[in-house]
Amino acid sequence: MSLAATLLSGDKLQDVELTRRSSRVALLVGGLALAAAVLLGLNEGDHLRRFFHAYLVGYVFVLSIALGGLFFVIVQHLTNAHWSVTLRRLAEFTAISLPWVGALGLPLLYPLFTHHGVEEHGGLLWPWIHPHGEHAELIAGKRPWLNPTFFALRMLGYYAVWAALGIAFVRCSFQQDRTDDPAPTVRAKRWSAVGIIVFAITTTLAAFDLLMSLDPAWFSTIFGVYFFAGSVVAIFAWLILTALFMQRTGRMQRAVTVEHYHDLGKFLFAFVFFWGYIAFSQYMLMWYGDIPEETVWFAQRQTAAWMPVSWLLVAGHFVIPFAGLLSRHVKRRLTVLGFWAAWMLIMHWVDLYWLVVPGLDSEHLTFGLIEILTSAGLVGLFVAGLARIAGGRPLVPLNDPLLPECLEFQNI
Amino acid sequence: MAEVAARELPESIKPPDLIQGGEDFTSITNTVARVAEYKPPKGWYIAFGIAVSVLGVLLAMLGYLFWKGVGIWGNNQPVAWGWPIVNFVFWVGIGHAGTLISAVLFLFRQQWRTSINRFAEAMTIFAVMCAGLFPAIHVGRPWLAYWLFPIPNQMRMWPNFRSPLLWDVFAVSTYATVSLLFWYMGMVPDLATLRDRATKKLPRLLYGVFALGWTGSNRAWHRFERAYLLLAALATPLVLSVHSVVSFDFAVAQLPGWHTTIFPPYFVAGAIFSGFAMVITLMVPARQFFGLKNLVTMRHLENMCKVIMATGMMVGYAYGVEFFIAWYSGNKYEGFVFINRALGNYAWAYWTMVTCNVLLPQVFWFRKMRRNLVVMFVIAAFVNVGMWFERFVITVTSTSRDFLPSSWHYFTPTLFDAVILLGSFGLFFTFFLLFCRFLPTVAMAEVKTVLPEAHPGHHHQPAEVER
Repeated sequence: MSLAATLLSGDKLQDVELTRRSSRVALLVGGLALAAAVLLGLNEGDHLRRFFHAYLVGYVFVLSIALGGLFFVIVQHLTNAHWSVTLRRLAEFTAISLPWVGALGLPLLYPLFTHHGVEEHGGLLWPWIHPHGEHAELIAGKRPWLNPTFFALRMLGYYAVWAALGIAFVRCSFQQDRTDDPAPTVRAKRWSAVGIIVFAITTTLAAFDLLMSLDPAWFSTIFGVYFFAGSVVAIFAWLILTALFMQRTGRMQRAVTVEHYHDLGKFLFAFVFFWGYIAFSQYMLMWYGDIPEETVWFAQRQTAAWMPVSWLLVAGHFVIPFAGLLSRHVKRRLTVLGFWAAWMLIMHWVDLYWLVVPGLDSEHLTFGLIEILTSAGLVGLFVAGLARIAGGRPLVPLNDPLLPECLEFQNI
Repeated sequence: MAEVAARELPESIKPPDLIQGGEDFTSITNTVARVAEYKPPKGWYIAFGIAVSVLGVLLAMLGYLFWKGVGIWGNNQPVAWGWPIVNFVFWVGIGHAGTLISAVLFLFRQQWRTSINRFAEAMTIFAVMCAGLFPAIHVGRPWLAYWLFPIPNQMRMWPNFRSPLLWDVFAVSTYATVSLLFWYMGMVPDLATLRDRATKKLPRLLYGVFALGWTGSNRAWHRFERAYLLLAALATPLVLSVHSVVSFDFAVAQLPGWHTTIFPPYFVAGAIFSGFAMVITLMVPARQFFGLKNLVTMRHLENMCKVIMATGMMVGYAYGVEFFIAWYSGNKYEGFVFINRALGNYAWAYWTMVTCNVLLPQVFWFRKMRRNLVVMFVIAAFVNVGMWFERFVITVTSTSRDFLPSSWHYFTPTLFDAVILLGSFGLFFTFFLLFCRFLPTVAMAEVKTVLPEAHPGHHHQPAEVER
């Protein structure tokens, strides 16, 4: 008999039917939304240039949640955390979805290798593929790193590493479900230190490649940390929302308590602050240094069209949620906490949108159905993958040696 | 429930018994209070004698400095910031472990902090004192150092609010104030314990004054714990802010090697790194001399070694990212600075830094090394050296070869640079040894809360988890 069967008797911790059904619904909705976005994109007559910018936003959005999940899982093992045991499986599902997320990235090979749109726009997505314009020579100098073949190989490498990490840690967790012997958990803990190092390096480089190289003349050493901060905000918001969803649909009733939400809320608050700190550091230093090769990137985001989005980030990604999540009361009032989690996920999306889309056109705010439908489609496909993974699997680690501690602790 | 209660966990994941040797409430008080109540071992007098002598040398040197001026240092164009600024950043960095342990680890419910937080907080305060000394003597006319503060005056002269050097004044003084308050507030119950145990008049009076009339009543404890939690939350941003502002001193400039966006989090990681190294440097001998081995166990030291390894690798990450972006940026000045760091005339300093900060802490991958007092003491010493060199590399390499090759100059420190750095250790250790002698070095009241006896279910079978 598993620990969970003893400690959480009567709790619904497994559900084949509903997850399968949600998988089908999500697949259908996601597929339709994406198809509609492609049609709208074709209608733009720009060789899908706008569509692929929108696609990158949605794609990095789901990727950041999955990577956040991987980070969460590794860190819980690394720090021997007990507060999070019953939540860990929800993060494990997102971590093990990384191969699927990788597959969702395949359409980006098209802008990487096609020659369509080179004459009119100088390329469809990453400008370094066909260096042009006033910085062409500078960008061409980066060819050893920024070239389509190496880029694709690097992406393959990142996904190989992430998938291996995700599968390795989650497999330990699934094995632990079936045995009383704590060996699998000990093994996960042993590998967590190496895992976090590999994670840090690959995530940083992926952030440079996917997002920073959208403006190949621009550079910022903190950029990897910036992307990481946003991803962690995303995973805590995601965990709050998925836990709420599971509980409101009658599952995990006893496994997750208000204490867990309180801790998730604290971490969400902490990383809202951390994101603000990192974003401020990057902005302030470039603003103060006032070197054109750096400030040009922010100048693109401070045009008449994009300034409101920049302010929206300052207010919506930092100031307002900071005030909103400060109180203990809020973190223990689940509907309100759920509101802030949803808010932060939306703001995280705005953050990525703000990173990607000004490169398309910094004079006009490009926002419409294409952006909405592409991201909705990718989230739908992501959720479909998650629901398939979760289908029939236990929703909490059934035999985790620290499960009793997880159910016992209180925020006093 | 029986099988749950009886489970045996492997040591690597089991919640540890933080206090060992069968210490209980009474014996903890005795162990800690004894240090302050009886004459210290002979070693303490020897150490104190040395520390005070070195402090004396510092004071003499400062006198000479004020008499002669800052020309006695190696600072000159183009390296206008020499050792004094290096020393300032070095000491401020060391002062970071205190708040991290007391505030951040408290919020993370890391109970092992209770055995070391008092110690680390004290160290923080003395390190910040040493840090504060250097900018004050670096201004050239130290009797006008108060001009750093925005004091209203009839000439309407204000400091430059747009200068990060002024932000430093606010950041460091805020940090010093809050650290002091946090340290003192946490000590109040323990001071009351010393007051109640004191047999002589003078100690009773002094401990009594500083114990603020603490009664130990339920209500007092309740308020104390709320206040402590709030102060911890308020102190947490300071862990980030102080060294971030210090990093701004460099990073707002347009100088390659200084101007890079990763500086704030990288400096913070480095500060925690060096702070923990200093805690180990002090703790390993102190627990031996003062008989605190049951309170500061191998487990505590091992955890600190892990923090050192983790933060050391964060620093290594920053070194790596800086190098990569220096190439990736395509900026030839940026590229030159980094090639020059690694292969130029300061390569010896750069590789000393990399070896001490990134390579040597890797021995902590082995559990045996994390539990070996000699190894951890030696590595911590190397980390202290490495972190000093990190600030040296940043400060000196970028300025000694700036944009104009005709002004390039190899920086050479003078004897006074070296003696004043050494003297600051005298200042640090004098206060530190006084702290060890007269104040409770371990937070007695807090340590007791992590004993199994303090746990609500201690005397009962674990109850069914009710929801």
